[in-house]
Amino acid sequence: MRTEPKKIMAAAMLIAALHLPVAAQTTADGYTNFIRQVQLPYEPDRITRDVYVDAKSPDTGQLSPLAINPGGARFELHTVKATPLTSYLLDTKYVGTYVPIASVAIRSEDPYTTIPRTRADRPFYVDVTVNGLLNGATDPEASKSVKLLRHVQSYGTGDGTAVNRTQATLLTQSTVNTNGSQTLTYALSSIPGADRSKIRGEERFSVFTLADYQAPESQLASMFVQVWPVATGTISGITAGQTITFSAPTLTLNITDIYPDSQIYAHVYPGTQALGTVGTILSGSGLIIKETVPQNRLLTVPKWDYAITGDGVWTVELLTTTPFGTDRLGWVTFNVDRTISVNGSVTTIE
Amino acid sequence: MKRPPAITLLIIALLPLKAEDAPKPVFRDAATHDSLVQKLRAVEAEDPMKAMEKAEGKDPSIENQPQNLLASSDLISFQGLTTLVPKRAIMKLPEQYKDRINNHQPGNKVVGWLDFYALNQGWITTVEINRKQAGGNEDFDPAFAEQLGKSKNMIVTVMASGPISYMPYRGDEETKKAEIK
Repeated sequence: MRTEPKKIMAAAMLIAALHLPVAAQTTADGYTNFIRQVQLPYEPDRITRDVYVDAKSPDTGQLSPLAINPGGARFELHTVKATPLTSYLLDTKYVGTYVPIASVAIRSEDPYTTIPRTRADRPFYVDVTVNGLLNGATDPEASKSVKLLRHVQSYGTGDGTAVNRTQATLLTQSTVNTNGSQTLTYALSSIPGADRSKIRGEERFSVFTLADYQAPESQLASMFVQVWPVATGTISGITAGQTITFSAPTLTLNITDIYPDSQIYAHVYPGTQALGTVGTILSGSGLIIKETVPQNRLLTVPKWDYAITGDGVWTVELLTTTPFGTDRLGWVTFNVDRTISVNGSVTTIE
Repeated sequence: MKRPPAITLLIIALLPLKAEDAPKPVFRDAATHDSLVQKLRAVEAEDPMKAMEKAEGKDPSIENQPQNLLASSDLISFQGLTTLVPKRAIMKLPEQYKDRINNHQPGNKVVGWLDFYALNQGWITTVEINRKQAGGNEDFDPAFAEQLGKSKNMIVTVMASGPISYMPYRGDEETKKAEIK
């Protein structure tokens, strides 16, 4: 049975309670949040209004003074980075007459809160909650179920700036017809890429309504997780098996795709390579990265003889510490032989 | 000598954790393509969405995609600050302020509308409008419209202090035909 337009209008004129929990409008790391209310259905002259985000009490709800259309309204949470000027759509909420309520949250091992993010080899978890679905025989189809979509999109060699999300690949779409929460666990991302350790892009999970009366299929909730590549690094200036007899040679550390929140260092310890060994950290090799996208660095480490305290077999390792643990990027085992042997004889003559 | 229970509990609490109880730092070799390819096959075979009822149809996110915020906004910049408002929220833009619109300079800090407006009330005037005026379905009072016309400031339309897009009045006949947007 189709609901009468007049009834829809009457119900839709109720002002929607808006409660989007967001951080303060301007965040410490240079992002500024904006919430925009877009009246639907989509028209070139549709009304759009910006909602003030109260920095003092960002978690309290507020009423929108702009009454909702029969087609509903979408509340969009964006964050804007000043340099380079970029905007990211973080979340959306669609509000309508009998529209179910949905939310999508993505968790990873990285505690960074601005944009959920993880690494190509690490898992993430998607929490999908749907409430308000009806199941009566006469209830409109759009009130009985919603669609859950999974999109993947590679950034190529870029960092996602100005990515065109209409180019994303729809990987899966499923139906949710029961109220409640569920967690989808993904041990790895499926973002396309020839080298699985070097994928960079995003996975987006969205809940959409079914098309109904004036409203097309509309997004109820959406969240994406950024996936960054695994770092790689090389140690040059010394080769495996090389014997150092005088000064230690200058090392060059070439590290690419350093995770946005990480530390880099090289250390040296006696013996052959053994993962987890704690050695002497080489001065000049330490680097702390607090960025929003992966980084590349080239470091030189001269004069590290102080770390070699005796002859024998030694190993130098290049490591990175991230929210996921410590990864060894490379190692070289070498020999040290600095003992001076003097061959001579003493004779006496009467 | 028998120890009182309280002292026994205190001794237990002060005992250092055994080595195996403490969380061990994770050390591993960085993952490689080969190690991840095998794992991905298993992951894709167990995609939790495949266990749900399959949905059909075109990709709705392409048809009804939220627009890029920057593309659907006008940027207002002045003295190192930039803010943004919805397109069509700038009702009047005098010639002398045109270089302050959509001219964000590198290094400018992006702030919310109210923070920006508080510092720029000398050249920006806001006009509170209602839903019908925003949709082009109600005209302004003629005296008020004349007053706005004389203003030398840039005028931004707002609803309850939030910048809102504005459509010029379409006329009574058009209004009757048009659905309220």
